[in-house]
Amino acid sequence: MGSEKTDEELMLAYAGGDLLAFEMLYRRHRGTLYRFLLRTLRHRADADELFQDTWSRLIAARERYRPDAKFTTWLLQIAHNLIVDRFRRQRPQASDEETEAVFSKLDAPDSDQPERALTEFEQRRRLQLALEDLPDEQREAFLLRIENGLGLEEIAAITGAGRETVKSRLRYALARIRARFAT
Amino acid sequence: MSAHDPDRELDALLGEGGGKIGDLYRRLPRYEPPRRLDRAVLGEAARAVHSGKPPRRQRWIVGVGSAAGLVLAAGIAWRIGHDAMSPSEAPATETRRVVPVEPIDEAARAKHEELAQPKTDADAASAPASNAAGEISPRQDTAPQKEIVHKTRASAKPATPPAIAEPPKPAPAPAAAPPPQAFTGAAEQRARAQDDFEKSGKDKLGVSETGAAAADKRAPAAARGVASPTVPSGSIELQRDMQLAPHDWLAHIRQLMQQGRTQQATESLRLFVRSHPDVRVPDDLSPLLD
Repeated sequence: MGSEKTDEELMLAYAGGDLLAFEMLYRRHRGTLYRFLLRTLRHRADADELFQDTWSRLIAARERYRPDAKFTTWLLQIAHNLIVDRFRRQRPQASDEETEAVFSKLDAPDSDQPERALTEFEQRRRLQLALEDLPDEQREAFLLRIENGLGLEEIAAITGAGRETVKSRLRYALARIRARFAT
Repeated sequence: MSAHDPDRELDALLGEGGGKIGDLYRRLPRYEPPRRLDRAVLGEAARAVHSGKPPRRQRWIVGVGSAAGLVLAAGIAWRIGHDAMSPSEAPATETRRVVPVEPIDEAARAKHEELAQPKTDADAASAPASNAAGEISPRQDTAPQKEIVHKTRASAKPATPPAIAEPPKPAPAPAAAPPPQAFTGAAEQRARAQDDFEKSGKDKLGVSETGAAAADKRAPAAARGVASPTVPSGSIELQRDMQLAPHDWLAHIRQLMQQGRTQQATESLRLFVRSHPDVRVPDDLSPLLD
């Protein structure tokens, strides 16, 4: 393997019938897409379903793919549209109670600790809970940045929001995460 | 996490690695999709490439169906022109319309007789097929069309179907004398092609006519600008929708909704979502998908 093919080249190759190209593409993005969906939806069954749906739609639309935009943007745009549809149907989300339950479990032992020195485990746990607690749009913007490594413009393109809106969502998300660590 | 400057924090998040939060995030469990999902996705991708080709199938069935219909119609027209419609015979209509009824009975009788008297396989196969496809097929082709036309459009255009139905005058003669094997094969193929076309038309398009008949009916409907309540015009519209740019397509769907054609709008939007999964469905149209 001298030179690695880009995602866009692989996608075009798959559209032309090269199945190996798809397998390579899939292996590259399966993990990040899955984690993005799982942390955004906060429900494994939903994440599984939308993960498969996202790839199905990509497969179905393969011949329409044009490498104008990055492949990642295209893939995440498909995922984003499915997430929005899901949220629209599910509002209010069922996981609120679960989140509350986990919070109460977390808060009790924390109040017993005078030194408040958070262990690494605790820090990870708090971050996870903070993510779950974020409003959908803030969480999605945050995950697109941190899990998928996207910049403001790309996040804006995927979510259909303006650049400044994305910036503001990220700022709010950071503030909420920080607040979770401060308790 | 103390003494926070939100802007600096944001810069850190947007910088390489995502700052402290990024470090912490990367220490969270790295969930992976389960194997069964891998299998499902890769299987679907393989099926799409090797056999199924779902996105193309929909478009091609429409195309192939239309082409088959046109070929069939052209074949019928050519046959009619050659075998039956000599210029001198063309004007006579009323008397001829009765004549083709006889060969059907004869053919049916002949078929019964053949079934009653055991013959060789070749004979048994060729005789009914030749009767059914060789001479009577033009009428069979058109007869169901006439029925459908009458069902769906009542008496919208009574003049057109008889024009197609008239020609089979010379039917009796070949029915008595079995045509050559090659002809029978071609006729069977044609009949099979029509069956396939009709099946695919009914399944995918909702079209129950040959391309020619459909085209005949389509043109006046389009000219009148009347939205036909039957499915065929809808499937043709869907085909046309697919040619539109995403923005125009969505505008067209809105237009359909305004015209009260919710079913058509829904179908068009579903097709849109499949064709453009990366384009978000506007909020005002999304209820159509629920």
